[in-house]
Amino acid sequence: MIEFILEVPRLLAVAVVVATPLALGAYSGLFCERAGVVNIGIEGMMLSSALTGQLVAQYVATGWIGTPLEPYGLPFAALVGILTGAALGALHAVLTIRFKVDQIISGTAINILAVGGTGALYTLYLAGGTAAGVPISPGVFEAIRIPFLADIPILGPIFFDNKPITYAMLIITVLAHFVIFHTPWGLRTRAVGEKPEAADSLGINVYTMRYINVIIGGALAGLAGIWFTLEDIGTFNVLMTGGRGFISLAALIFGKWTAFGGFGASLIFGFAQAVQIYLQNQGSPIPPQFLNMVPYVLTMLVLAGLIGRAVPPAADGVPYEK
Amino acid sequence: MLKKNVRSIVPAIVLALALTLVACGGGAAAPDTSDDGATEAETTDEEASGSDIRVGVVLDTGGENDKNFNEYTLAGVRDAANELGIEFNYVVSGAPTEYERNIENLIEEGHEMIVTVGFLMGEATQAAAERHPDVSFAIVDVDFIDLPNVTGLVFAEDEVGFLAGALAGCMTETNTVSTVSGVDVPAVVKFVTGYQNGALWANPDVETLNVYIPSFTDPTAGKQAGEEQIANGSDVIFGVGGGTGNGGLLAAHEAGLMAIGVDVDQYFTYEEVQSSLLTSAAKNMDVAAAQAVRDYVNGELEPGNRLSNLENGGVGLAPFHEWEDRIQERGCDVVAEEAREGLLSGELTTGYEPEG
Repeated sequence: MIEFILEVPRLLAVAVVVATPLALGAYSGLFCERAGVVNIGIEGMMLSSALTGQLVAQYVATGWIGTPLEPYGLPFAALVGILTGAALGALHAVLTIRFKVDQIISGTAINILAVGGTGALYTLYLAGGTAAGVPISPGVFEAIRIPFLADIPILGPIFFDNKPITYAMLIITVLAHFVIFHTPWGLRTRAVGEKPEAADSLGINVYTMRYINVIIGGALAGLAGIWFTLEDIGTFNVLMTGGRGFISLAALIFGKWTAFGGFGASLIFGFAQAVQIYLQNQGSPIPPQFLNMVPYVLTMLVLAGLIGRAVPPAADGVPYEK
Repeated sequence: MLKKNVRSIVPAIVLALALTLVACGGGAAAPDTSDDGATEAETTDEEASGSDIRVGVVLDTGGENDKNFNEYTLAGVRDAANELGIEFNYVVSGAPTEYERNIENLIEEGHEMIVTVGFLMGEATQAAAERHPDVSFAIVDVDFIDLPNVTGLVFAEDEVGFLAGALAGCMTETNTVSTVSGVDVPAVVKFVTGYQNGALWANPDVETLNVYIPSFTDPTAGKQAGEEQIANGSDVIFGVGGGTGNGGLLAAHEAGLMAIGVDVDQYFTYEEVQSSLLTSAAKNMDVAAAQAVRDYVNGELEPGNRLSNLENGGVGLAPFHEWEDRIQERGCDVVAEEAREGLLSGELTTGYEPEG
């Protein structure tokens, strides 16, 4: 037991890394759902961005196409990945806001589209290795150690010795909280998600607010997606997001539709995963599937009202008819 | 009026597009086009015995380019089909729930031999074989189906795992070696058990670590598991389990340590980690699948299990590539060879015992 407690700071540092795509996915859901649009397509948006980001990284950053962008290949690839997420967010927005397609169906369609689309693009452009003319991956973003701050005991390695997307996640946590809860924009967003008729009667353009928030949500899912390829692995694998888009929705609910809540929930889920792997390495007989259930079990407890109450925005999932 | 039409058409188009892409990505029962049409050309050639036979392959979710058992089984079937001048088609399963439907579709289209891939497809294959006694089945990595029309193509993963472990136990400088594993299906468990016992045989002081990740397509979790093992002192990581295992190899590579690939010579299939790969514990899945197809066409495919092992060359260590000199310097190639001879003569056992 004491051994485990001594390992906790190290496992927390792992948890922050593992929590990065979960938290970003949760913020994606936060912007969408606070504006009244359910987005279960986060998983598909992540997977798509992971692929497009990697595709650009491999072909542009390696100089394979020979563009002047080469030295900025990875940042450029990151941008493409984020825009991919934003584009899918826009698709979701058009389908659900303009055409009032059932939001769950639209999200599911995006998930299916992503599995098929990434599979096809992977087969066409990334499979087969150098023998098939595919350039070798340029690798991933390097960790940036922030001087002095990284030397703080315990907290230093957890927060100040990370890779760029992880830092971005930490900053966006604060930013998202501020925007949603302390700006006029956030107030309007929440109004549109709670009582769109009232917001409309006050002259807020419900549709515009929803469009922009869903596109922001898509971009955040895109950022989560490129974490897999450009920050963590450096190559694309079929289905590599592994359901984390859905876990991030669980984090959103567990965190009661707030940024800090979503961050905390992601951190708990990430920590559970870190502990699970730690225990297996110590030879624990607990089946891995068991600890993998933790996020879902906790979310169900929240939904059942056992750990506080989780109340979604009142107009969440309801198309707005003028 | 127009507006209403647009309203209903646009979502329909998007959904249709989604499904089309799934079909492309999943290769839904489309004739194999990556083959330069060689299949079609040869279909009309001679081989009267084989010309009408159609072989169908159902792949698991990893897909036809998984650099692993899906890809190599498919390659074996493709080789045999080209050589025999018979037609073959394949489907990639998008999810485990699609196994049965994909098998049924291929049978409905008139495929009289079905090849399925992987332990996870075992139950679906068994059910289909019971429903269609006139169709022949060959399944990779499954040994539990006892039906007159099913042949299990199984491998002695424990034997080649033992060799990899002996090499790892010899090469480790920290006396700790580890495995990053996918789902704990028998093939994976056999690799892991063989590896651990091989390492202990070569180096009685060695400590072995293992993590199972309940997925074959999760490199992120695999890498995390590998990093945790490195933090616990491991300096040789054996990645067992598709993309998940690859994550373990990457962890070793990023830390400048040693890695051992699995199933195929990963030096050629995971080039990003080449410089860290000692070897790979290879299963010749393409050879086994090709032979099964040939035997079926010649009426020689017998039910029961076919074991590919060290003795018949069905499993073995891949070349050491960039590590050749360093492995020889330390005499570890000799250790691995001793392990091989010991297993062949029956002097050594891998320590794997099937459950039940």
